[in-house]
Amino acid sequence: MKDTAYLHDKQLMAKEKVNNPSFMKTIWREIKNDKIALGSLILLTFLLLAAYLSPLFIEQADVTRVYMGNIYKAPSADNWLGSDDGGRDVFGQLMLGARNSFTIGICVTLIAGLFGLTVGLIAGFYGGTVDNIIMRIIDFLMVLPSLMFIIVFITIVPQYTVFNFILIVSAFAWFGKARLIRSRGLAERELDYINASKTLGTPGWKIMFFEMFPNLSSLVIVNMTLTLAGNIGLETGLTFLGFGLPTGTPSLGTLISFARNPDIVQNKWWVWLPAALLILVMMLCINYVGQAIKRASDARQRLA
Amino acid sequence: MSLLKVNDLKVHYPIRGGFFRNVVNHVKAVDGISFELQPGETYGLVGESGCGKTTTGRAIIGLNKATGGEILFEGTDLAKQKRSDRRTYVKDIQMIFQDPYSSLNVRKNILNTIAEPLRNFERMSPGEELKRVQALVERVGLSPESIYKYPHQFSGGQRQRIGIARALTLNPKLIIADEPVSALDVSVQAQVLNFMQEIQKEFNLTYLFISHDLGIIKHMCDRIGIMYHGRFVEEGTADDVYNNPQHLYTKRLIAAIPEMDPEKRFEKTHLRQSINEEYRTDYDSYFDKDGRMFDLKSISTTHSVALQ
Amino acid sequence: MLKFILRRTLIMIPQLFLLSLIVFVLAKAMPGDAITGAFAGDPNATEERKEELREKFGLNDPWYEQYGRWIGNAVQGDFGSSYMYKQPVTTLLAGKVGNTVLLALFTLIITYIIAIPLGIVAGRWTDTWADKLIVTYNYFSFATPLFVFSLLMLFLFSFILGWFPIGGSVDIKIEEGTWDYIVSKMEHLFLPVMSGALLATFGTIQYLRNDIIDTKLKDFVKTARAKGVPERKVYTKHILRNSLLPIAAFLGYEIAGLIGGSIFIESIFSYPGLGQLFLTSIGARDFTVVTALVMILGTATIIGTMLSDIILSIVDPRIRVE
Repeated sequence: MKDTAYLHDKQLMAKEKVNNPSFMKTIWREIKNDKIALGSLILLTFLLLAAYLSPLFIEQADVTRVYMGNIYKAPSADNWLGSDDGGRDVFGQLMLGARNSFTIGICVTLIAGLFGLTVGLIAGFYGGTVDNIIMRIIDFLMVLPSLMFIIVFITIVPQYTVFNFILIVSAFAWFGKARLIRSRGLAERELDYINASKTLGTPGWKIMFFEMFPNLSSLVIVNMTLTLAGNIGLETGLTFLGFGLPTGTPSLGTLISFARNPDIVQNKWWVWLPAALLILVMMLCINYVGQAIKRASDARQRLA
Repeated sequence: MSLLKVNDLKVHYPIRGGFFRNVVNHVKAVDGISFELQPGETYGLVGESGCGKTTTGRAIIGLNKATGGEILFEGTDLAKQKRSDRRTYVKDIQMIFQDPYSSLNVRKNILNTIAEPLRNFERMSPGEELKRVQALVERVGLSPESIYKYPHQFSGGQRQRIGIARALTLNPKLIIADEPVSALDVSVQAQVLNFMQEIQKEFNLTYLFISHDLGIIKHMCDRIGIMYHGRFVEEGTADDVYNNPQHLYTKRLIAAIPEMDPEKRFEKTHLRQSINEEYRTDYDSYFDKDGRMFDLKSISTTHSVALQ
Repeated sequence: MLKFILRRTLIMIPQLFLLSLIVFVLAKAMPGDAITGAFAGDPNATEERKEELREKFGLNDPWYEQYGRWIGNAVQGDFGSSYMYKQPVTTLLAGKVGNTVLLALFTLIITYIIAIPLGIVAGRWTDTWADKLIVTYNYFSFATPLFVFSLLMLFLFSFILGWFPIGGSVDIKIEEGTWDYIVSKMEHLFLPVMSGALLATFGTIQYLRNDIIDTKLKDFVKTARAKGVPERKVYTKHILRNSLLPIAAFLGYEIAGLIGGSIFIESIFSYPGLGQLFLTSIGARDFTVVTALVMILGTATIIGTMLSDIILSIVDPRIRVE
């Protein structure tokens, strides 16, 4: 008897779910209706699959080993995209670099997102003095020339690892998010459902994360996708300047940084050009998908 | 003993100005009001918008901080308690909100909405919780399977019933109803009001009923307090206030109720004109030189007026 | 109004103080100090000699005394001297700052020359092919990383087509002050400026387009149309006047972006400016130069943001409420 009642509930639940398409479903519908966004998503999935599955086909040790007799070879059947100054296969490095760059972009986005979200929610939920203090700090942090600071931090940090790199970049990537969430949070806290939760005895942190946050989640998802592209750009840019990933962890920026030598720019284009184009394509795809998600989050802008 | 006794309650907001943003003045949203609620009665707070009636309700439940005065609930002063101690009384005092649209979280289904207070205060198995919520939902006249629906699938009246069900979950003693029907269609208003009266008997509730609608207040309330600019103008039973208004402001308010009977319309116009005349000549005997109300003075056992 | 300006200016003081404190702490955290730097590669420098000098220059004093001295000197324009270039940092910067200012100024001008007409066209004729084209361009400029774009520009126009020089700020053979000198300077500036400007248009175009679309539907515009104001005048007199003013205010906010951008651009086009100096100094561990640069450019952004806030508050009275 109890089981059937339970089953009955499940069916009802399922039925109601159909009537209330989740945000994920809305996003999917929006992307399906936008051919370029769909194309971007497919291309992006393909690129990422290739990059993440490449270890199954390419030996990583092989890619990073130096072959003195094979320096700066033009593309051939052996080396699809030629080889670099150490005779290493550029194509293999490209795949490895894409994987590293994307993973680090995701990590930075998540860490900065989580931190910005928490700070923004606290400022938005409590308002008043708490908000005032947090906002003064963020105002200050936002006017700092962050790129210079990141570079300085990277140079002086004693034990330089990928993890430290991620932390340093994240430390300068959360201000905007905190500000965005705070301003929406301030509007949200005036609504009675927040007051209702307070009168029902729900503790503040629970209201913040379980009442307020779900109402801001689409904003967060949109913002995260769009900043993901920016963060990948930042990482590769820093690596290009020589302040990115530690040596031994190739990134797309590592390959592009070969282009700081005019001879390579002109005569050995296969070393850096594919990586530059790959970044470009990845950025465009992520942003296009991001725009579609943004439209999905706002009923007035939806195409579907 | 009275259930709730409010003593000289004050809620002031600082106005900051000048170069260093120091406090230059205060907005006196609620400026020293006192009243008592007996168990089982409905007490109405009436006044124009901005007179401080909502602020009073919010201060009692703890959404606004009281600047001064006492809020004695069954003898304990809530105004002086810390937020954490106040939690004990959350179960006993609940609130029904004005706007049924913003007072329900659109991301939560009805089950989660109504079960929220249960999860805060009572340890129940999911099965028990489900039963309890379904019983409540049925009591407010919705079908039990609707607990899996989301707020946008309900009409305004239904949403307000959900709000009421949520307030009833913890079996409170006092419910503060802040304009509970002003956002609803007139046709639905009566339904919700009658329903509120039904459950009052059933759950033995005390209402603090806040409204600007004199008709609704007359229908619902045993005793009434009229507020103006954060002060009490007149307090008494519904009969005292409606049939024997003493303060100028109350008179004007009562005279403003539209008259349906055409025969009496002319009479009413004259009444209004005479009150207006009185307003012009006798203003000083009703308000002190700052335009502030005097303290309440009782003129009978139930009736008191702010007169000099 | 005056009160707002004064208060906004006062906020700058704690900001500058905090910035200097952070920069000072960073400078202390940097490996080695002025003495180690100055004697780098000098075999005669014994530990005792260095210690003696440290004592003499007050490097063993408590931090707040050192901070006080450092900030006191900095305010007077003395940031110490670079060990790599063997000259005072101030002199070193003076030689480079002109190039960077020139680059930033031209980038700003070109950005607005491109962005304002495009923004207006896209906003006025929404959903036409021109609008769609502009929106697409805008989308590209938002998504493309600056360093990739600059590199591709350099590769295409300097290496393959050979239209522009591949680096530097001027041809060294040409004498200063001649017409050719200016032409050569412009030639060297063209690619860096275009690379920066073509991507920097994003914010302005987006803002203008959205603002014009919003303003078009406002009641005061409908009133203007209803009383028979010609369409062209509706735009010039009623809509654009409202939409263009804030753009002037955004100038100050651009400074932070320009500084970040100059690091990439100057590095890629080997353009001798502050960004390139920053990179070479940090690469050579010439930390006196690095601290001076961070301090000066940080101050520039703080002042720029303040100016923007003030201009915006004059243009848009709603902001002043706060």
